Parts: sequence; C-alpha cells; structure tokens
Amino acid sequence: MGLNFHMAAVRNGITLTGLCKEYRLGKTSVQALRDVNLEITAGSFACVAGPSGSGKTTLLNIIGLIDTPTSGTVHVAGEDIQGLTEKLRTRYRSRTLGFIFQSFNLLPVLDVFENVNLPLLLHRELTVAQKRERVREMIAAVGLDAHLRHKPFELSGGQRQRVAIARALVTHPYIVLADEPTANLDSHTGTEVLDLMEHINRSRGTTFIFSSHDPHVMERAGRVIHLHDGAIEAA
Amino acid sequence: MERLSLCLRNLGRHAWRTRIILLIALLGAFLTFLFENLIEDMSRKQSDMFGRAFSGHFLVLNRDIDTKNTFGFYYCKPEQMMSPGQVSRVRAFLAGLPEVSGAQERIVFSGLYYGEKDAERGFAGVAMDMGEFQKNFTDLYFAQGKPLARGEQGTCAPNWYEFGKEKNLVIGNRYVFLVPNREGEFVDREVLAKGGLDYRSMPKDAFGVSNVVFDLEGFRSMVGYSEADATEVIGFLHDARTAARVLPRIQAWLDQNEPSLKVVSWRVYAPIMAEMVLGFDVAMKAVEAILMAICVLLVVKLTTFSIIERYSEIGTMRAIGFSRADVAFQFTLEGFLAIAAGAAAGFILAAVLIGTLHAAGIHNKTIFWSYVIGNGFHPAFHAQKVVRVILVFFGVAVLAPLLPAIHGGRLSILRTLEKR
Repeated sequence: MGLNFHMAAVRNGITLTGLCKEYRLGKTSVQALRDVNLEITAGSFACVAGPSGSGKTTLLNIIGLIDTPTSGTVHVAGEDIQGLTEKLRTRYRSRTLGFIFQSFNLLPVLDVFENVNLPLLLHRELTVAQKRERVREMIAAVGLDAHLRHKPFELSGGQRQRVAIARALVTHPYIVLADEPTANLDSHTGTEVLDLMEHINRSRGTTFIFSSHDPHVMERAGRVIHLHDGAIEAA
Repeated sequence: MERLSLCLRNLGRHAWRTRIILLIALLGAFLTFLFENLIEDMSRKQSDMFGRAFSGHFLVLNRDIDTKNTFGFYYCKPEQMMSPGQVSRVRAFLAGLPEVSGAQERIVFSGLYYGEKDAERGFAGVAMDMGEFQKNFTDLYFAQGKPLARGEQGTCAPNWYEFGKEKNLVIGNRYVFLVPNREGEFVDREVLAKGGLDYRSMPKDAFGVSNVVFDLEGFRSMVGYSEADATEVIGFLHDARTAARVLPRIQAWLDQNEPSLKVVSWRVYAPIMAEMVLGFDVAMKAVEAILMAICVLLVVKLTTFSIIERYSEIGTMRAIGFSRADVAFQFTLEGFLAIAAGAAAGFILAAVLIGTLHAAGIHNKTIFWSYVIGNGFHPAFHAQKVVRVILVFFGVAVLAPLLPAIHGGRLSILRTLEKR
C-alpha cells in the first residue's frame, strides 16, 4: 500500500462493510459480529456500547488489526486494511493507531516516562531529544509531570490509565481505540479520563473509538453505536 | 541504548530466572573453557609422551618392513637396512623442516642374553646416539647407574622397571649377549649393564617394554659394522599432532628421492596408544558436547517460560506497533546479555583455575592418569581455544534464546492479550 495513512485517515475515516466474526469453540460456534456496516468519520468521539458479549471488543480488535473478521471488509482511508502485508499491518498499528486497554497494560519494569516512550522506540526518524520532548509534553498533557519516574505499581488506577493514554497518543496517531477505558476506574477518575480523551479529541482532531456499557460514559460520546449480540441496533 | 536499557530492566525484574541463566552460562563456559584447554594439553601430552616413549614421532625406514603393532621394535632383514648415504640425505631433508625438532638414525634388532642364574632371555634392542638421547627422549632418563657415553662399547642400559622388577639384569653386572652383526649373524659379546632407563611419566607397576639400549657408535664397533648403516631414521616433532600434515610431505620427498623408503607415524606402529589418545579426546569432547546441549536446552526452556509468563507484555508490544522481529529481538537480546555475562564470569573462573594448575602442576600416581597425562602436568592457555570457546558461546548466546524468541514474536496478538 505504502500510503500515508495519517492524512488520508483524517479525511476519509473508517468504513466497515458486512463485517462478520464467528468464533469456534469446539463443536459450537459463537457469532461475535453479524453483518456490521458502519462509517466512522475522522475526528469522531464515538462510543461502541452494549452489554458484555455484545461484540464491542471484537469490533475494536478488528479495526486495530488485532483480530481478523470471518467476512467483510474494513477500509481505513479508503484502503482495505485486512489485505495489508504483515509489515504494513505493524506500521499501521505503530503510526496510525493508538491503543488504550481496559487493564492499562503498562510494562511494570518501566517507569512512567519509559512506558510512554515505549512506542517511540520504533520511530527511528526521531532523535532521542525529540522523543524526550514529545514524551514530556504528553505526560504533561495527562497531568503526570510529577510522576515521571514512578513505576506503575506506585500509581493509582486513574493515573495508570492516564499513562496508557499518553502512551497511546505519543506517536500522534489519528485513531485511538480504547477498550472500556474507564471500566477499572471509579466514577470520578473515569470522568477525568473521559475529560482528557475528549480534550485531546477536540484539540488534536484525533478519532477516538471507545467501548463501554456505562450509560455515563455513553452520554459523553459524540456518537454512540449500540451493539447487541454482535449486530448494530442503533448508530 | 533504549532497547538495551529495557532488556537490562527486564533481566533485573525476572531476577531468579536471570540468575539461573547466568549460572548455567557460567558453569557451561567454565567447564567448556576448562575442558577445551585441558583436552588440548592432554592430547599434546599424550601424543608427545607416547611418541617419545617408544620410537619417536615418526620413522623413516625400508618400505618392506612391517611396523604395525610393533611399538617400533620391528624385524629388519640385513638387506633392508639404510645405507649411510640414505641416512645422511634423509637427515639433511628433515633438518630443513620447521616442524621437525630432531632426528637421528638407529639400529633396531632382536637379541638374547644370559641373565642371573644363566637364564636365557630374548630382548628388543635399539642402538642410538646416546649424545642425542636427552635431547629427544625427554620422557626417558637414567634412573639408576651411569648414563652411556657416546661411542662406548660393551655397555647397555636396560629398561629399568622391566628388568629391575625381574631382577634379571642387575645394574653394574656383566652379562653375555647374543646380538646381530651387519649380516644378521649373531655374535656373542660381554656387556656391562651400566645404567637403568626409566620413563618419567609412566606408571611404574604396570608398564614396561623389554628393550635394551646401546650406544649406536659403540654398538657398530662392538659387532663389527664396516659402514655406518642403520635400520631407521627416527624423527621428532615440535607438536606430535602435526604428523598428519607433515608426514605426507616427507613421504612425497621420499617417493621422489628415496623410493625404497617410507615414513611411518607412531600412531601406526603403536596403534593401541593412538587409540587411547583418540578415545580420550572423543570422550572429553562428548562430555563437552553433552554439557553444551544441556546448557542450550535449559536456556531454551527458561526463555520459553519467560515468554509464557510475559504473554500480556508481548501482546501489548505488538498492539502498539512492535513487529514480530522486534519482539524476537527483545527476547534474544535479553537471553544474549544473560548468557554473555554468565559466560564471561565462567571464562574468568576457568582462567584462574587453569592459571593455578599451570603454576602448581598436577601430580598423580594413579595408573590411568599416568597413562593420560603423565606425572607432573601443567595445563596452559591456548589462543585458538580461547577464540573457539568465545565463538561457540557467542553462537549459544544468540541461538539458544533465538528459537523461543522467534516463537514469541509469532504469537497471535489476540491470544497474548487474552492471557492476563
């Protein structure tokens, strides 16, 4: 493909067409996604909502090239990303996407600065000084300047999720996928995290697609995509 | 540097596993380095010792003489002897070979003597230049009585513990010997047993070759040689193991210049000893290979365990953009660093031990080790072994963690992220 995903993604967004995902568990099969058709415009602050087992995580995983659909296509910037080579899939994940996980997935051996810096290890076009500046800027943006050298176990849940957000954003991605980013946080901290995500969405134009089954979180989204039993109920 | 720092932190985090890998690499490197150097020394020592103790590292003699399994004490017909011209030409050629440390002509023969109580005994005899004796036969020395002088007639030096044990030839006594002249006819001579020969490194109670040594010039005079004929020219090498390389060159020269002669390695005329050298080398190498295989398997197991334990971390790294190769590199580098650090410590320990053994020497009285290394063994460092062991461990450090690391890199992102 060789396209610059970034700018094209800003213009064209994400298009899912006839997306199905079936998991086989022994002799039984589970239909995780059923004929999902969806367009998410660039710069959206979209929430994929639905109860547990509705297919939210599967949908995000397929957009993030972590999982593959049984059928259907995912177009990002007009390009079918399922057809990418392994090298371009890796590049897509490192340059275009940012991931925020429900359980933060920080590397326990690294401190805040190093965790945020982790994705930049792959950005050889940046000098060490540039990386350092970008990391500091991102940590400041999530309000953790005072915790630069703290290890994850020294932080609260909300602070850890902030670190995860900073790590997801440090590469300046155009799409951020967040799988239940507030699920492990109390309501006050969850609100803070959402505030932060929304602020970044508005100030940078970053597309946010996050999943949740919390009505308070859904209220904050610019668009809510309701999934039920793998199918879109409302979008 | 950032990747290196990450690796070091991971090694620190998984301290118990890192320590085990360090320990395995340390032991592996220690034993391999020690073994490699000791095997080298033992192989040299054995090759040199057996060659010198019998009949030199190689023999140049008539093509038709059968030397196999004779330990150098073969049967030579009078017409198979080398002429003085042949002897001098061969010696001149050997003197020009840098690998050859010495050469001399000898007469090998069989004879009889009447020992104590007139007991008749056969013996293998050898007449050689006793002036050159100490230079080449460094493993032999006069254990009792007086050394034979060059040109001295009517004296002999029996192999000490063979004859000493039997009390058949008493040092200082005279005996009647039947020895062959140039024509192969036996003549009787009265001979004084002047000195007893001994092997410095051989076990005294189990080893003995029933030979009797005469001075070459004295022997010729004693039995009436009109020309300085000899049955062989024996040669010595600086390193007995170079025989496989040097002997073909000697044979090529003989084929061209002295076609009636051949060169024979001590490994051919004393094959049992050659098999002992080879057998010991193979046994040591096998032990070394098993140790190495155990090291590699343990490192592979530990790296695999590390990967299983860090599934979630692998999934996270892959999700944020690390490629399969990046993940594989990360685990390989971690394994490499742990093995390299352990191996370095192992090398140092082995170097200290070899240095100590070199300074102190290994003294032993046991029969087996006397055969293998002699009594008074000083192992040393060998530059090529240092390079070889470092290269082997570099290979192990890269390859042992590489396979599981590649497997780790190829894991499904979804599968690894699901493992919490």
